[in-house]
Amino acid sequence: MTDGAIVTERLTRRFGPLLAVDNIDLQVAAGQFFGFLGPNGAGKSTTIKMLTGLLAPTSGRVQLLGLDFSSKSVEVKRQIGVVPEGMGLFERLTGSEYLNFVGRMYGLDRATTRQRSEELLEFMQLADRPKSVIADYSHGMQKKLALAAAVIHGPRILFLDEPFEGVDALAAGALKALLGRMTERGVTIFLTSHVLEIVERLCSHVAIIHKGRLVAQGSLDELRAGIAGEEGRQTTLEEIFLSIVGQGESGRPQMEELSWLV
Amino acid sequence: MAGVAGKLGVAGQIRLVAELRWRILRNHLRRKNSRWDLIGLIWAAVFFSVIVIGLSFAFCWGAYISLSTGHFEWLVLLFWSILLFWQVFPMFVASFGATFEFRTLLRFPLSLTAFYLVGLAYGLADFAAISSVLWLFAITVGIGFAKFALLPSVVVIVALFILMNTTIERLLGSWLERLLARRRTRELMLGLFVLLSISLQFIGPRIAGYARGSHSSLLSFLPYLSPFPPSIAGSAIASAAHGNAIAFLSGAAGLLAYTGFFSALLWYRFAAQYRGEELSEAAAPARVALRAASSTNSSRDALNLLSPQVAAVLRKEFRYLARNGFVLVSLLMPPILVLLFTSQFGGQHPSVTHRGISPDMFFPGMMGYLILMLMTPAYNCFAYEGRGIQTYFTAPLRFRDVLLGKNLMHAAVLTLEIVLSLTMLALRIGLPSTPVLVATLMAVIFAVAGQFAIADWVSLSFPRKLEFGSMRGQRSSGVSIWVAFGVQLLLAGICSLILFVGRWTNNPWLPAEVFTGLAAASIAGYFATLDALTNVAEKKKEILIETLSR
Repeated sequence: MTDGAIVTERLTRRFGPLLAVDNIDLQVAAGQFFGFLGPNGAGKSTTIKMLTGLLAPTSGRVQLLGLDFSSKSVEVKRQIGVVPEGMGLFERLTGSEYLNFVGRMYGLDRATTRQRSEELLEFMQLADRPKSVIADYSHGMQKKLALAAAVIHGPRILFLDEPFEGVDALAAGALKALLGRMTERGVTIFLTSHVLEIVERLCSHVAIIHKGRLVAQGSLDELRAGIAGEEGRQTTLEEIFLSIVGQGESGRPQMEELSWLV
Repeated sequence: MAGVAGKLGVAGQIRLVAELRWRILRNHLRRKNSRWDLIGLIWAAVFFSVIVIGLSFAFCWGAYISLSTGHFEWLVLLFWSILLFWQVFPMFVASFGATFEFRTLLRFPLSLTAFYLVGLAYGLADFAAISSVLWLFAITVGIGFAKFALLPSVVVIVALFILMNTTIERLLGSWLERLLARRRTRELMLGLFVLLSISLQFIGPRIAGYARGSHSSLLSFLPYLSPFPPSIAGSAIASAAHGNAIAFLSGAAGLLAYTGFFSALLWYRFAAQYRGEELSEAAAPARVALRAASSTNSSRDALNLLSPQVAAVLRKEFRYLARNGFVLVSLLMPPILVLLFTSQFGGQHPSVTHRGISPDMFFPGMMGYLILMLMTPAYNCFAYEGRGIQTYFTAPLRFRDVLLGKNLMHAAVLTLEIVLSLTMLALRIGLPSTPVLVATLMAVIFAVAGQFAIADWVSLSFPRKLEFGSMRGQRSSGVSIWVAFGVQLLLAGICSLILFVGRWTNNPWLPAEVFTGLAAASIAGYFATLDALTNVAEKKKEILIETLSR
């Protein structure tokens, strides 16, 4: 396997007869802001779960920061942060209690954990509800808390599954700035999102998965180079995405079929 | 222009909900884990069916004798026992309820009437309700054998009694859920509950003395209960047997009035839910507090002996326990019941037995009871994790730390309860002899440590999500219920055998020595299995995450 922050080799996952992820070879260099795209059911979440230890691959290998995940899982996990699908929060703790819990789980001492918790809650604008349990947070607040928990230990790789979904514009702006600063300092960010504008604005490199197979991978400029756009105008990520994923989609539903609605 | 949904009648809506329930059950059973669950449930159903059917014969015979001999007061007692079982049992054994939260149906254009009827119907899909209905049917059959002509009157009374009980049970359940959804109310209720239990201890001996004075004290108390539904039901049947149609009709009208009254209250509750009432801690708005500056002593940790991960899990478990009203009450119940048992079976003046059971007999039995009650939740120890379970698999730890943290919390609760119970025992009937005390405590360590290893494996292999702070619709997996039952039966058998051998050989210290050895082996075995359980967790993580994040 080659060097890189995130490297996968023939990563495959089957669910019974369904081949959810099919022989994926990913290469993400350290410090990259990497966007992982694909239509619904393409295998994005399955891939991110395998990369973060939430799901065992059927075959293939995952290497993070030069360490093999299957044999060095604890060392690997110590250096990564995750906002998983569904956020993975303990909903009956308060935000502060949850951050303290996560900090201690990552081995931080109590003083550091408490200090970082307070700073993160302040930054995420969650500090004014100290007694509310997470179950009573709005979706956006829960998302911000999940993000705070993912970075409390200062990870070297950050996996974010739809991190901006439900987050208000103000907080999203601050978060984007924070994530940008983190990549400048060498943190690798692996992000999935359906909002292609966000990915285009934040990510330097992108991979596209479709029906479990990796159909494109490279920098935005490399992907643009492969697509013929209008002369004098830069091809957007949406156009690249539709061009790659839309190929051979003749079976897409036609609007006429919904005549009872439109 | 798009059309809008047409109107569907109440019957159609109920039929759709029934179909939905069937489809959910069918799809659920397709999963491998669920099939094990089903097998466990079938075993449980067979076991409890034997008890319920056996009691049905007793109710049938009781009703027959009551009618044949003219002791109608016995019939009243039968109705009272059914009402108490129907209403009280679900509070203590909430695990047998339906697992479908019918309030989720509110997103659909369901009428309030359909919502009410569906909610009411769910009240019948409950172990206590099914058993009670069966016993009421047995009473009907018993009366039919004694006096066939009474059958139509009995059917009317029994039907009203069933409707009223279903309504009360749903009403109590929904009110309790609403009340206990707030932390402050939970604390208040808990305080009242403890006070009531302690008060019972003071009046217990007086009641016991009164009971010893007259064998028919229970029956002589019945006239005071005559305005209440079970007495009305029994009296109405008695009136019908005496050919007093007016008294029978007024009895039936009384039951109808009770049913109407409770139905109105239930309608009011369900209407609030129908309007979108949300039960959560947020119901009581929290005052926004100023943030306190971080304490300079913040690095001091009372759990310094433990690794940060184990300490973090332990703290989290404590917070979850403190915030889960029903679990907290269920943990407080055993010592309180021990207190009650000491007055009933122990000491110089027991209220139930003629001679008090000696502390040497009472203490091992009491510990066995405590373990039976308190160890069962350990067999589904991830029940309340929800999506948070993912944190355990993304954090840099070995899963043994999570299990250790959870088991330590459980052991701490057990220790507290044992100390409380022992103190009560010492105050009420005295301590057991030293050999029995040591033997029993060692037996407890052996049983608890041994069970933790098995319970952890069951929790990982057959997880079942439970709703936090909810008493309705909660059930552990069928497999975990049966494994818990089987293991506890086996351990009780081993412990009894060792105690018996100690008595038989007339060597009071023999059980203590054997149990000390077993306890040491059990603790060593527990720690030896933690690594194996870590591997199990790794293999089972997909099932765990999928089941608990649902």
